[in-house]
Amino acid sequence: MLSQNSLLKRTWPMLVQCAEAHRKPRWLPVAKSKIYRIPKRPVISEDERLELMRLHNNYKTQMRSIRRFYHEEMIKEKSTRESASSEMSQRLEAEEWARCVELNEKWNAQVAVEREERRKLEVAALEEYALKKIEADDIKLKERIAKASEEIKKQKELSSTFITPENLDAAIDHALANPIDYNFAIDLKGNKYEGRDTQIQYTKAKEEKSASATA
Amino acid sequence: MASATTTVIKYVGRTTDFKGKTLWEIVGSLKNFGVGRIIVRSVFERYPEPSFMKIVKVEACPDEERRRVRVWVEKTFRGRKMPQLTEIYRTSYKPDYKLIPKNEEAKLLAGVEKAHDFPDVILPNSVEMPPLMKKFIIKDHEKKGLEIMTDFTMPISYNHSPNRVKRIAKGNEKPTVAFTMGLGKPASPSLYEGVPLS
Repeated sequence: MLSQNSLLKRTWPMLVQCAEAHRKPRWLPVAKSKIYRIPKRPVISEDERLELMRLHNNYKTQMRSIRRFYHEEMIKEKSTRESASSEMSQRLEAEEWARCVELNEKWNAQVAVEREERRKLEVAALEEYALKKIEADDIKLKERIAKASEEIKKQKELSSTFITPENLDAAIDHALANPIDYNFAIDLKGNKYEGRDTQIQYTKAKEEKSASATA
Repeated sequence: MASATTTVIKYVGRTTDFKGKTLWEIVGSLKNFGVGRIIVRSVFERYPEPSFMKIVKVEACPDEERRRVRVWVEKTFRGRKMPQLTEIYRTSYKPDYKLIPKNEEAKLLAGVEKAHDFPDVILPNSVEMPPLMKKFIIKDHEKKGLEIMTDFTMPISYNHSPNRVKRIAKGNEKPTVAFTMGLGKPASPSLYEGVPLS
Protein backbone atom coordinates (compact mmCIF):
# COMPACT_ATOMS: atom_id res chain seq x y z
CA MET A 1 0.00 0.00 0.00
CA LEU A 2 1.32 3.41 -0.95
CA SER A 3 1.44 6.03 1.77
CA GLN A 4 0.32 9.52 0.97
CA ASN A 5 3.68 10.94 1.82
CA SER A 6 5.56 8.78 -0.62
CA LEU A 7 3.03 9.59 -3.32
CA LEU A 8 3.55 13.26 -2.74
CA LYS A 9 7.31 12.85 -2.73
CA ARG A 10 7.13 11.18 -6.11
CA THR A 11 4.67 13.52 -7.77
CA TRP A 12 5.91 16.79 -6.31
CA PRO A 13 8.96 17.14 -8.58
CA MET A 14 6.85 16.17 -11.56
CA LEU A 15 4.34 18.93 -10.87
CA VAL A 16 6.67 21.66 -9.80
CA GLN A 17 10.15 22.06 -11.18
CA CYS A 18 11.95 24.58 -9.05
CA ALA A 19 15.20 26.05 -10.29
CA GLU A 20 16.77 25.61 -6.89
CA ALA A 21 14.93 22.56 -5.73
CA HIS A 22 18.03 21.17 -4.06
CA ARG A 23 18.48 24.19 -1.79
CA LYS A 24 17.33 24.36 1.78
CA PRO A 25 15.30 27.37 2.80
CA ARG A 26 17.32 30.23 4.25
CA TRP A 27 15.76 30.01 7.68
CA LEU A 28 16.65 26.38 8.36
CA PRO A 29 19.84 25.65 10.33
CA VAL A 30 22.83 23.90 8.87
CA ALA A 31 22.00 20.38 7.75
CA LYS A 32 23.16 17.57 10.05
CA SER A 33 25.39 16.17 7.38
CA LYS A 34 27.09 19.54 6.83
CA ILE A 35 27.83 20.55 10.42
CA TYR A 36 31.50 19.56 10.24
CA ARG A 37 32.07 20.68 6.69
CA ILE A 38 34.48 23.59 6.75
CA PRO A 39 34.59 25.52 3.51
CA LYS A 40 38.07 26.21 2.27
CA ARG A 41 39.17 29.79 2.08
CA PRO A 42 39.54 30.93 -1.50
CA VAL A 43 43.14 31.59 -2.43
CA ILE A 44 43.61 34.58 -4.69
CA SER A 45 46.93 35.65 -6.06
CA GLU A 46 48.15 39.13 -5.25
CA ASP A 47 47.93 40.24 -8.90
CA GLU A 48 44.36 39.08 -9.19
CA ARG A 49 43.37 40.62 -5.88
CA LEU A 50 44.70 44.02 -6.89
CA GLU A 51 43.06 43.86 -10.31
CA LEU A 52 39.70 42.76 -8.82
CA MET A 53 39.85 45.50 -6.23
CA ARG A 54 40.56 48.08 -8.93
CA LEU A 55 37.70 46.81 -11.09
CA HIS A 56 35.25 46.74 -8.20
CA ASN A 57 36.21 50.21 -7.05
CA ASN A 58 35.83 51.57 -10.58
CA TYR A 59 32.48 49.86 -11.00
CA LYS A 60 31.17 51.24 -7.73
CA THR A 61 32.27 54.78 -8.57
CA GLN A 62 30.74 54.58 -12.03
CA MET A 63 27.44 53.22 -10.79
CA ARG A 64 27.29 55.73 -7.96
CA SER A 65 27.84 58.57 -10.44
CA ILE A 66 25.09 57.34 -12.74
CA ARG A 67 22.68 56.75 -9.89
CA ARG A 68 23.28 60.16 -8.38
CA PHE A 69 23.01 61.84 -11.79
CA TYR A 70 19.57 60.38 -12.37
CA HIS A 71 18.48 61.03 -8.81
CA GLU A 72 19.40 64.70 -9.08
CA GLU A 73 17.71 64.95 -12.45
CA MET A 74 14.55 63.50 -10.97
CA ILE A 75 14.62 65.99 -8.10
CA LYS A 76 15.18 68.89 -10.53
CA GLU A 77 12.32 67.77 -12.76
CA LYS A 78 10.02 67.34 -9.83
CA SER A 79 10.77 70.79 -8.43
CA THR A 80 10.24 72.48 -11.82
CA ARG A 81 7.01 70.61 -12.33
CA GLU A 82 5.84 71.53 -8.87
CA SER A 83 6.68 75.21 -9.22
CA ALA A 84 4.99 75.40 -12.63
CA SER A 85 1.93 73.59 -11.41
CA SER A 86 1.75 75.70 -8.27
CA GLU A 87 1.82 78.96 -10.30
CA MET A 88 -0.83 77.66 -12.66
CA SER A 89 -2.98 76.41 -9.84
CA GLN A 90 -2.71 79.72 -7.99
CA ARG A 91 -3.91 81.66 -11.04
CA LEU A 92 -6.72 79.22 -11.61
CA GLU A 93 -7.71 79.42 -7.99
CA ALA A 94 -7.83 83.24 -8.06
CA GLU A 95 -9.99 83.16 -11.17
CA GLU A 96 -12.32 80.67 -9.62
CA TRP A 97 -12.56 82.80 -6.49
CA ALA A 98 -13.43 85.94 -8.47
CA ARG A 99 -16.07 84.04 -10.40
CA CYS A 100 -17.57 82.70 -7.19
CA VAL A 101 -17.69 86.18 -5.63
CA GLU A 102 -19.43 87.61 -8.68
CA LEU A 103 -22.00 84.86 -8.73
CA ASN A 104 -22.61 85.24 -5.03
CA GLU A 105 -23.21 88.97 -5.35
CA LYS A 106 -25.67 88.40 -8.19
CA TRP A 107 -27.54 85.90 -6.07
CA ASN A 108 -27.54 88.27 -3.12
CA ALA A 109 -29.06 91.10 -5.20
CA GLN A 110 -31.74 88.80 -6.54
CA VAL A 111 -32.58 87.56 -3.09
CA ALA A 112 -32.71 91.16 -1.78
CA VAL A 113 -35.29 92.15 -4.41
CA GLU A 114 -37.36 89.10 -3.60
CA ARG A 115 -37.12 89.83 0.09
CA GLU A 116 -38.30 93.45 -0.37
CA GLU A 117 -41.36 92.30 -2.29
CA ARG A 118 -42.14 89.70 0.27
CA ARG A 119 -41.71 92.17 3.11
CA LYS A 120 -44.11 94.57 1.46
CA LEU A 121 -46.71 91.86 1.08
CA GLU A 122 -46.19 90.72 4.63
CA VAL A 123 -46.54 94.26 6.03
CA ALA A 124 -49.74 94.79 4.05
CA ALA A 125 -51.16 91.51 5.27
CA LEU A 126 -50.29 92.40 8.85
CA GLU A 127 -51.92 95.79 8.56
CA GLU A 128 -55.06 94.29 7.12
CA TYR A 129 -55.18 91.71 9.86
CA ALA A 130 -54.75 94.36 12.53
CA LEU A 131 -57.46 96.59 11.09
CA LYS A 132 -59.83 93.66 10.86
CA LYS A 133 -59.11 92.70 14.40
CA ILE A 134 -59.70 96.26 15.66
CA GLU A 135 -62.99 96.40 13.79
CA ALA A 136 -64.09 93.03 15.12
CA ASP A 137 -63.16 94.08 18.64
CA ASP A 138 -65.14 97.29 18.27
CA ILE A 139 -68.19 95.41 17.12
CA LYS A 140 -67.87 92.97 19.97
CA LEU A 141 -67.50 95.76 22.49
CA LYS A 142 -70.55 97.56 21.10
CA GLU A 143 -72.55 94.37 21.29
CA ARG A 144 -71.51 93.82 24.84
CA ILE A 145 -72.42 97.42 25.76
CA ALA A 146 -75.81 97.05 24.11
CA LYS A 147 -76.45 93.78 25.89
CA ALA A 148 -75.47 95.29 29.21
CA SER A 149 -77.65 98.40 28.72
CA GLU A 150 -80.60 96.20 27.85
CA GLU A 151 -80.04 94.18 31.01
CA ILE A 152 -79.84 97.36 33.02
CA LYS A 153 -83.11 98.54 31.51
CA LYS A 154 -84.76 95.22 32.31
CA GLN A 155 -83.49 95.29 35.88
CA LYS A 156 -84.65 98.88 36.27
CA GLU A 157 -88.12 97.88 35.14
CA LEU A 158 -88.08 94.94 37.51
CA SER A 159 -86.84 97.05 40.37
CA SER A 160 -90.41 98.41 40.88
CA THR A 161 -91.48 94.95 42.08
CA PHE A 162 -88.52 94.48 44.49
CA ILE A 163 -89.30 94.07 48.18
CA THR A 164 -87.92 97.03 50.05
CA PRO A 165 -87.98 97.80 53.81
CA GLU A 166 -90.90 100.13 53.18
CA ASN A 167 -93.19 97.53 51.62
CA LEU A 168 -91.81 94.54 53.55
CA ASP A 169 -94.82 94.28 55.85
CA ALA A 170 -97.24 94.52 52.93
CA ALA A 171 -95.29 91.79 51.11
CA ILE A 172 -95.38 89.53 54.16
CA ASP A 173 -99.06 90.12 54.53
CA HIS A 174 -99.58 89.38 50.88
CA ALA A 175 -97.57 86.18 51.14
CA LEU A 176 -99.45 85.02 54.16
CA ALA A 177 -102.74 85.90 52.53
CA ASN A 178 -101.93 83.94 49.36
CA PRO A 179 -100.18 80.61 50.25
CA ILE A 180 -98.97 78.70 47.22
CA ASP A 181 -98.92 74.94 47.13
CA TYR A 182 -96.34 73.62 44.68
CA ASN A 183 -97.33 69.94 45.05
CA PHE A 184 -98.92 68.33 42.05
CA ALA A 185 -99.77 64.99 40.51
CA ILE A 186 -99.59 63.73 36.94
CA ASP A 187 -101.86 61.18 35.34
CA LEU A 188 -100.98 58.87 32.46
CA LYS A 189 -101.89 61.44 29.86
CA GLY A 190 -99.59 64.03 31.42
CA ASN A 191 -102.29 66.19 32.93
CA LYS A 192 -100.99 68.16 35.83
CA TYR A 193 -103.14 68.41 39.00
CA GLU A 194 -101.79 71.10 41.24
CA GLY A 195 -102.31 71.14 44.94
CA ARG A 196 -102.08 68.48 47.57
CA ASP A 197 -105.75 68.36 48.41
CA THR A 198 -107.25 68.84 44.96
CA GLN A 199 -110.14 66.52 44.24
CA ILE A 200 -109.79 64.70 40.95
CA GLN A 201 -112.84 64.54 38.65
CA TYR A 202 -112.66 61.12 36.90
CA THR A 203 -114.32 60.82 33.49
CA LYS A 204 -116.19 57.62 32.44
CA ALA A 205 -113.66 56.29 30.08
CA LYS A 206 -111.07 56.74 32.66
CA GLU A 207 -113.10 54.76 35.15
CA GLU A 208 -113.61 51.80 32.79
CA LYS A 209 -110.00 51.67 31.92
CA SER A 210 -108.91 51.76 35.50
CA ALA A 211 -111.44 49.05 36.37
CA SER A 212 -110.17 46.71 33.62
CA ALA A 213 -106.64 47.37 34.71
CA THR A 214 -107.40 46.40 38.31
CA ALA A 215 -109.44 43.32 37.34
CA MET B 1 48.30 14.89 37.46
CA ALA B 2 48.85 16.66 34.19
CA SER B 3 48.69 20.13 35.71
CA ALA B 4 52.22 20.92 34.58
CA THR B 5 51.53 20.25 30.91
CA THR B 6 49.84 23.01 28.96
CA THR B 7 46.63 22.05 27.24
CA VAL B 8 46.71 22.31 23.47
CA ILE B 9 43.75 24.13 21.99
CA LYS B 10 42.73 23.07 18.52
CA TYR B 11 40.28 25.31 16.76
CA VAL B 12 37.76 23.80 14.37
CA GLY B 13 35.73 25.87 11.93
CA ARG B 14 36.12 28.76 9.63
CA THR B 15 39.29 30.77 9.90
CA THR B 16 39.33 34.46 10.58
CA ASP B 17 41.47 37.45 9.68
CA PHE B 18 41.29 38.75 13.21
CA LYS B 19 44.23 38.32 15.52
CA GLY B 20 44.31 39.55 19.07
CA LYS B 21 41.90 40.34 21.88
CA THR B 22 38.76 42.36 22.25
CA LEU B 23 39.21 45.89 23.46
CA TRP B 24 37.65 45.13 26.84
CA GLU B 25 40.03 42.26 27.44
CA ILE B 26 42.93 44.67 26.97
CA VAL B 27 41.54 47.77 28.64
CA GLY B 28 39.75 46.06 31.53
CA SER B 29 42.93 44.49 32.87
CA LEU B 30 45.07 47.63 32.74
CA LYS B 31 45.67 50.27 35.40
CA ASN B 32 43.42 53.31 34.94
CA PHE B 33 41.80 51.44 31.99
CA GLY B 34 44.98 51.89 30.00
CA VAL B 35 44.65 55.60 29.39
CA GLY B 36 47.77 56.81 27.59
CA ARG B 37 48.66 53.37 26.23
CA ILE B 38 48.86 52.54 22.55
CA ILE B 39 46.78 49.86 20.85
CA VAL B 40 46.85 48.53 17.33
CA ARG B 41 44.28 46.84 15.16
CA SER B 42 46.04 43.96 13.51
CA VAL B 43 43.91 44.26 10.35
CA PHE B 44 45.49 47.65 9.69
CA GLU B 45 48.99 46.25 10.03
CA ARG B 46 48.86 45.17 6.40
CA TYR B 47 49.73 48.69 5.31
CA PRO B 48 53.38 49.72 5.08
CA GLU B 49 52.79 52.92 7.08
CA PRO B 50 52.16 52.54 10.82
CA SER B 51 48.61 52.76 12.14
CA PHE B 52 47.95 52.94 15.87
CA MET B 53 45.64 54.47 18.44
CA LYS B 54 46.40 56.17 21.74
CA ILE B 55 43.75 55.74 24.40
CA VAL B 56 42.45 59.02 25.79
CA LYS B 57 39.28 58.13 27.66
CA VAL B 58 37.45 54.93 28.55
CA GLU B 59 33.90 54.23 29.61
CA ALA B 60 32.92 50.75 30.73
CA CYS B 61 29.72 49.22 29.36
CA PRO B 62 27.45 46.46 30.68
CA ASP B 63 28.59 42.91 30.22
CA GLU B 64 26.64 41.44 27.35
CA GLU B 65 27.18 38.51 25.07
CA ARG B 66 29.79 40.42 23.11
CA ARG B 67 31.22 42.78 25.66
CA ARG B 68 31.84 46.23 24.30
CA VAL B 69 33.53 49.25 25.75
CA ARG B 70 33.43 52.90 24.79
CA VAL B 71 36.90 54.21 24.11
CA TRP B 72 38.05 57.55 22.70
CA VAL B 73 41.35 57.43 20.91
CA GLU B 74 43.81 59.61 19.08
CA LYS B 75 43.95 57.76 15.80
CA THR B 76 46.88 57.61 13.44
CA PHE B 77 45.96 55.82 10.22
CA ARG B 78 48.66 55.04 7.68
CA GLY B 79 50.95 57.66 9.17
CA ARG B 80 48.32 60.41 9.14
CA LYS B 81 47.03 61.64 12.46
CA MET B 82 43.28 62.36 12.52
CA PRO B 83 42.50 65.91 13.66
CA GLN B 84 39.75 64.81 16.03
CA LEU B 85 39.29 62.11 18.64
CA THR B 86 37.65 58.93 17.42
CA GLU B 87 35.13 56.98 19.42
CA ILE B 88 35.34 53.20 19.31
CA TYR B 89 32.22 51.43 20.48
CA ARG B 90 30.54 49.41 17.72
CA THR B 91 33.76 47.64 16.75
CA SER B 92 35.19 47.28 20.24
CA TYR B 93 33.98 43.68 20.60
CA LYS B 94 36.13 42.49 17.69
CA PRO B 95 38.98 40.28 18.88
CA ASP B 96 41.44 42.15 16.72
CA TYR B 97 43.19 44.60 19.08
CA LYS B 98 46.73 44.39 20.30
CA LEU B 99 48.41 46.27 23.13
CA ILE B 100 51.84 47.72 22.38
CA PRO B 101 54.27 47.17 25.25
CA LYS B 102 55.68 50.33 26.74
CA ASN B 103 59.23 49.63 25.58
CA GLU B 104 58.09 49.37 21.95
CA GLU B 105 56.00 52.53 21.93
CA ALA B 106 58.93 54.80 21.15
CA LYS B 107 59.91 52.64 18.19
CA LEU B 108 56.41 52.78 16.78
CA LEU B 109 56.13 56.53 17.21
CA ALA B 110 59.53 57.02 15.59
CA GLY B 111 58.34 55.02 12.59
CA VAL B 112 55.89 57.74 11.64
CA GLU B 113 57.78 59.43 8.86
CA LYS B 114 56.07 59.03 5.58
CA ALA B 115 52.34 59.40 5.63
CA HIS B 116 49.94 57.80 3.19
CA ASP B 117 49.43 60.98 1.21
CA PHE B 118 49.24 62.00 -2.44
CA PRO B 119 49.45 65.77 -2.56
CA ASP B 120 50.05 65.91 -6.31
CA VAL B 121 47.22 63.60 -7.35
CA ILE B 122 44.02 65.31 -8.47
CA LEU B 123 41.01 63.10 -9.21
CA PRO B 124 38.68 64.15 -12.02
CA ASN B 125 35.31 65.59 -11.06
CA SER B 126 33.46 64.74 -14.24
CA VAL B 127 33.34 61.86 -16.66
CA GLU B 128 31.90 61.16 -20.06
CA MET B 129 28.66 59.24 -19.98
CA PRO B 130 28.52 55.62 -21.09
CA PRO B 131 27.31 55.12 -24.70
CA LEU B 132 23.90 53.61 -23.90
CA MET B 133 23.14 56.37 -21.44
CA LYS B 134 23.96 58.95 -24.12
CA LYS B 135 21.46 57.35 -26.49
CA PHE B 136 18.83 57.20 -23.76
CA ILE B 137 19.24 60.85 -22.94
CA ILE B 138 19.06 61.90 -26.62
CA LYS B 139 15.86 59.91 -27.04
CA ASP B 140 14.41 61.26 -23.83
CA HIS B 141 15.10 64.86 -24.78
CA GLU B 142 13.57 64.32 -28.22
CA LYS B 143 10.46 62.91 -26.60
CA LYS B 144 10.12 65.80 -24.18
CA GLY B 145 10.89 68.43 -26.83
CA LEU B 146 13.97 69.78 -25.06
CA GLU B 147 17.08 71.00 -26.90
CA ILE B 148 19.50 68.24 -27.84
CA MET B 149 22.40 67.86 -25.45
CA THR B 150 25.93 68.24 -26.81
CA ASP B 151 27.97 67.98 -23.62
CA PHE B 152 27.77 64.40 -22.50
CA THR B 153 29.61 64.71 -19.20
CA MET B 154 28.32 64.09 -15.72
CA PRO B 155 29.81 64.67 -12.30
CA ILE B 156 31.58 61.81 -10.59
CA SER B 157 30.43 61.25 -7.03
CA TYR B 158 32.98 59.92 -4.61
CA ASN B 159 32.45 58.45 -1.21
CA HIS B 160 33.39 60.84 1.53
CA SER B 161 35.63 59.51 4.24
CA PRO B 162 38.07 61.01 6.71
CA ASN B 163 40.63 58.60 5.26
CA ARG B 164 40.42 60.11 1.78
CA VAL B 165 43.88 61.31 0.80
CA LYS B 166 43.53 62.01 -2.91
CA ARG B 167 42.20 65.45 -3.76
CA ILE B 168 39.20 65.89 -6.03
CA ALA B 169 39.47 68.55 -8.70
CA LYS B 170 37.59 71.75 -8.06
CA GLY B 171 36.05 73.68 -10.95
CA ASN B 172 38.10 73.48 -14.11
CA GLU B 173 41.21 72.11 -12.47
CA LYS B 174 43.11 69.67 -14.63
CA PRO B 175 43.07 66.16 -13.15
CA THR B 176 46.24 64.15 -13.05
CA VAL B 177 44.46 60.80 -13.08
CA ALA B 178 42.25 59.57 -15.90
CA PHE B 179 38.91 57.98 -15.15
CA THR B 180 36.67 56.52 -17.83
CA MET B 181 33.51 54.49 -17.95
CA GLY B 182 35.47 51.69 -19.62
CA LEU B 183 37.79 49.01 -18.30
CA GLY B 184 40.62 51.38 -17.55
CA LYS B 185 44.28 50.59 -17.17
CA PRO B 186 44.84 47.16 -15.60
CA ALA B 187 46.65 47.07 -12.28
CA SER B 188 48.28 43.76 -13.15
CA PRO B 189 48.76 43.41 -16.91
CA SER B 190 49.97 39.85 -16.53
CA LEU B 191 46.33 38.74 -16.21
CA TYR B 192 45.44 40.20 -19.61
CA GLU B 193 48.14 38.52 -21.66
CA GLY B 194 46.90 37.91 -25.18
CA VAL B 195 43.73 39.91 -24.64
CA PRO B 196 43.31 43.02 -26.79
CA LEU B 197 42.51 45.98 -24.54
CA SER B 198 40.94 48.92 -26.32
